Amino acid sequence: MLGLRSTLRKAAGLASLVAAVATPAFAADKLTYFTWSGYELPAFNKSFLKAHPDGVETSVFSDDDEAFTKVKAGFHPDLAHPCYDKIARWNKEGLLQPIDTKRIKNWDTIFPVFKDLPDIQAGDGKVWMVPWDWGNTSILYRTDLVKDPEQSWGLLWDKKYAGRLATIDAVHDTPVVAALMAKVNPFDMSPADLEKVAAVLREQRPLLRAYTTDMTSVEQSLASGELVAAMTWNASATALKKQGVKVEFMKPKEGMLTWACGFVMLKDAKNIDLAYDFINSRLEGESGKELITQYGYGSASKAAFDLVPKEEIDRLQLPADPNVVLKSTVFTGPMKQNDELAKMFEKIKAGG
Amino acid sequence: MSVSAETDHPIPAASARQRRLFQFGMSAPGALATSILVLFALGIVLFLSFRTNDGSLLGGAFTLRNFLDTLSDPLYATIILRSLAIAGFVTFATVVTAYPVAYYLAFHAGKHRGLLLFIVTLPFWTSYLLRVFAWKVVLAYNGVLNSVLLTTGLTSEPILAFLNTPAAVVVTLAHAYAAFAILPIYVALENVPRSLIEAAEDLGARPVTIFRKIILPISMPGVMGAALVVFVPTVGDYVTPALVGGPSSTMIGSMIQAQFGKANDWPFGAALAVIVMLVILALVVGVRFADKHIGSRT
Repeated sequence: MLGLRSTLRKAAGLASLVAAVATPAFAADKLTYFTWSGYELPAFNKSFLKAHPDGVETSVFSDDDEAFTKVKAGFHPDLAHPCYDKIARWNKEGLLQPIDTKRIKNWDTIFPVFKDLPDIQAGDGKVWMVPWDWGNTSILYRTDLVKDPEQSWGLLWDKKYAGRLATIDAVHDTPVVAALMAKVNPFDMSPADLEKVAAVLREQRPLLRAYTTDMTSVEQSLASGELVAAMTWNASATALKKQGVKVEFMKPKEGMLTWACGFVMLKDAKNIDLAYDFINSRLEGESGKELITQYGYGSASKAAFDLVPKEEIDRLQLPADPNVVLKSTVFTGPMKQNDELAKMFEKIKAGG
Repeated sequence: MSVSAETDHPIPAASARQRRLFQFGMSAPGALATSILVLFALGIVLFLSFRTNDGSLLGGAFTLRNFLDTLSDPLYATIILRSLAIAGFVTFATVVTAYPVAYYLAFHAGKHRGLLLFIVTLPFWTSYLLRVFAWKVVLAYNGVLNSVLLTTGLTSEPILAFLNTPAAVVVTLAHAYAAFAILPIYVALENVPRSLIEAAEDLGARPVTIFRKIILPISMPGVMGAALVVFVPTVGDYVTPALVGGPSSTMIGSMIQAQFGKANDWPFGAALAVIVMLVILALVVGVRFADKHIGSRT
């Protein structure tokens, strides 16, 4: 069988050789950036585009677990944009190379709470991820269709609204909330805990209209009244409020989820200088300001917050200091049983 | 294919060699594509399905666990049955609606036939996703269908049951595969000898009888072909249920895709894929067998 295995390896090698020969033709002098859909806006890296017109090639994902498998299977962008809870996993797979903070001009403007995250430390002034954005996951509900609900994640389990609820199809969102509902630690579960979480998720499934990461659909459904409440991120709340839809982003008593994401450099990145230019451009205050005002997400940079008027920040329900948020929310850190949870979540979604 | 017929004639030796070379040259690209794109890919899937998932690309040691897990958990049987049922409904709906179209094309279209055939294939000029989203627009809570029902007073409240249901998946897929069903049925109907119809008419058969005794039996191979072409790919479809399906229409394709994506267990996904292939194979063989023995071919 060894023969077969080595043949397969050779074939895989041959395939990657073909890919390597084929790709530089269009990607040699362009930065390749793999990010969340919606995060590719040119407004986020104006100065980079000024210096390198048309200098970035973006591909997007809607879930960073998908992104992980894609990169693992041989897609090699220069920069990627996963969230903090996945960093250890990417690192364990040997996909990343450390980023030198000395080359990041605005490193000092990043809030210490993000700079000091344990999993991003690569030692010797280097990091595995440069934090760029953070935000919350909570329930966005129609204030006219759900009258004065209890401020609790329980709304997504309320039989009164069966068929009018939706939740996010990602391991670091719905199963984490299910763990909070089951009163177990979302980030380290025993097999018995996993079973408890599964039971809570099973209870929710018949009430749901959709498990999805397509936030545009969720926003449309909330606007039309098809959904009365859904798990979303800040950006959906910001977008619907701008449209004048009567919605509120809940502050559940069990705690919103707070997440942070940022740039990682892939081990075999070809355009390292461009990558540093890009990160520097994105860490400018102006860039973070766009992130705050367009999407209602928090910027990891204090400089960005300083550029946004206080009323605007209050309106977006963002605190000027993420430390304030983190006192009352659940920070999405690495989940030890990510794979087991993912598999279980898939089964439950399918009705198992 | 036509070699045996051709070789009846005596051919000079050099030309026979040239002919062999020519035939080799002609079939080489196809053979290469088949062995690399189909056989090699299938081989990898089969290989992976017997591996343990240790996070590496080709998996760890050999094992039967993927298959045992699948077979011991009733969930997977349920999902496979659900996929077969949805694909079955899609096939039925597609063939039943495609037949009249093909019939019209073959017998009544006259000089507009070319234009009509062109219109039938027109939806294929747009992306599949666009067609799915068009259905979303029609079926949505505030969509076209609900608006019509509301303004005509047929309902007082928008109906939730159109979108994110298995029915939405069936409708969308049936529309998407319509042309795949119309074309083979049309070709089969085209080949119905007109002389048989005339003879039947001369003998005083009514149109219904002619259809039942002559046209339908002769066009059956086209119908079977259409059914296969629609059924086999829809069993494994995962985009449509993801976009218009909702939780109760998860199909086996979504499950397989999830194993290769989020769940990060390629060997298990490969095992699921192998099982589905075997199930479909068994079905197809069964249908062929039934068709041969009790089928209505003349």
